[in-house]
Amino acid sequence: MKNTWQTGLGLVTLAAMVAAVYMALVGAPTEAEQGAVQRIFYFHVPCAMVTFASFGLVAIAGALYLWLGSQIWDDLEYAAVEVGMVFCTLVLITGSIWAKPIWGAWWTWDSRLTTTFILWLIYGGYLLLRTFGGDTPQVARFAAVVGIIGALDVPIIVVSVRLWRTIHPAVLLTRQGEHGLQDPRMVAALLISMLAFTTLFVWFLSLRFKMLRVHSRLTGLKRDLALWQAAGEGGR
Amino acid sequence: MSGFGAILRKDLKLEMRTGDSTITLIALSMLILVVLVLAFNPAEGRTGDLAAGALWVALIFAGMLGSSRALVAERDNSCILGLLLSPIDCAQIYAAKLAAAFIFMMVAEAAAVILLMLFFNLEFGMKLALLAPPVILGALGVAAVSTLLATIASRTRAGDLLLPVLVVPIFVPALIAGVKASAAALSGATMAELLGWIRLLIAFDVLFVAAGYLLFDYVVVED
Repeated sequence: MKNTWQTGLGLVTLAAMVAAVYMALVGAPTEAEQGAVQRIFYFHVPCAMVTFASFGLVAIAGALYLWLGSQIWDDLEYAAVEVGMVFCTLVLITGSIWAKPIWGAWWTWDSRLTTTFILWLIYGGYLLLRTFGGDTPQVARFAAVVGIIGALDVPIIVVSVRLWRTIHPAVLLTRQGEHGLQDPRMVAALLISMLAFTTLFVWFLSLRFKMLRVHSRLTGLKRDLALWQAAGEGGR
Repeated sequence: MSGFGAILRKDLKLEMRTGDSTITLIALSMLILVVLVLAFNPAEGRTGDLAAGALWVALIFAGMLGSSRALVAERDNSCILGLLLSPIDCAQIYAAKLAAAFIFMMVAEAAAVILLMLFFNLEFGMKLALLAPPVILGALGVAAVSTLLATIASRTRAGDLLLPVLVVPIFVPALIAGVKASAAALSGATMAELLGWIRLLIAFDVLFVAAGYLLFDYVVVED
């Protein structure tokens, strides 16, 4: 059965997630300056990583769809946007929860926050386009174009908002080459959490992708049936 | 480039005779400026920043509407089929439509800048010359993104409502750079101080004009 590896991946994800929750909440020591709030970092960072991976995948699948025209790339692209949006929303929510006690505000227009939020808006627009467009090959091409220019925009967004303002903590490695995680148990918690979120991402993506494949096949069959019926009526 | 020239000439001639796009764009820019003046009351200081922000709000919304008009008008009369059937590269159609939208926007922006000076009580002079590069580059950026995306938006159930949802987030980096550069220009900065933002605007324009040029094929083709 095809489903076996998906079920297996789901179980691996479950195990990794339990380990990640344990490591993040119990295994890793409490950070000296920020206290318990810092623990949300073990979920925030993997979510951000997965978000960028999935939006990157959107651009690649979109380009392949425009190039090769095979429905499979369109389905992969759509699935990646949907799953990417879930994780992007999680990044924004977990970031806000951390920012309130540390920065004293739920939201600031810092460069990283702004970049992530703009990505969220771009791919939110993509989902609206899919919703209002219906599923025709034409809308699939439109969506691929939006997905590609959204990804092209990322470097310019990053540069512009960085010139604009930034207060976000340096990501893992600072300029001096040291990272904020002093304890090896903290590093372990982060790595396990990254593994858990990666498998979660692949699992979500595979489920959604499979559903879209079935949907595309159904649409194709319906179209064939309609053509066949029309041909039958014409013959009579 | 004969296809490009022919389409652009046609659009300009049409515009000279009807004036639809430019008049609508000027009216819209003016209304946006009036709304922002009433909303923010520039008499209370920080005039330069407010004026720059107001100008860019007018620029982005007028730009989106103007660019979408150019292509929607072609489809209303099924002229787009004629364009697609003609032996002209799709990319040239894009370039011509972009050039037309950009020219109409420049006319509207010139009017908007004059109104801005009056409404916000700013001095005419060198500051205006420094305002030109960011505004021209910004107008080109809006026109490039909107011309590509207007075709997409107008063919969905939501219609033109979807256009701002798609264009504004994409345009954010140019918006940040443009507002910053314009505010600096209005507060008396030198060209050298604007250069960082101008470079960003140029990068944005190059990227999205190229993207539009390459991707327009996939957007405009009818099934």
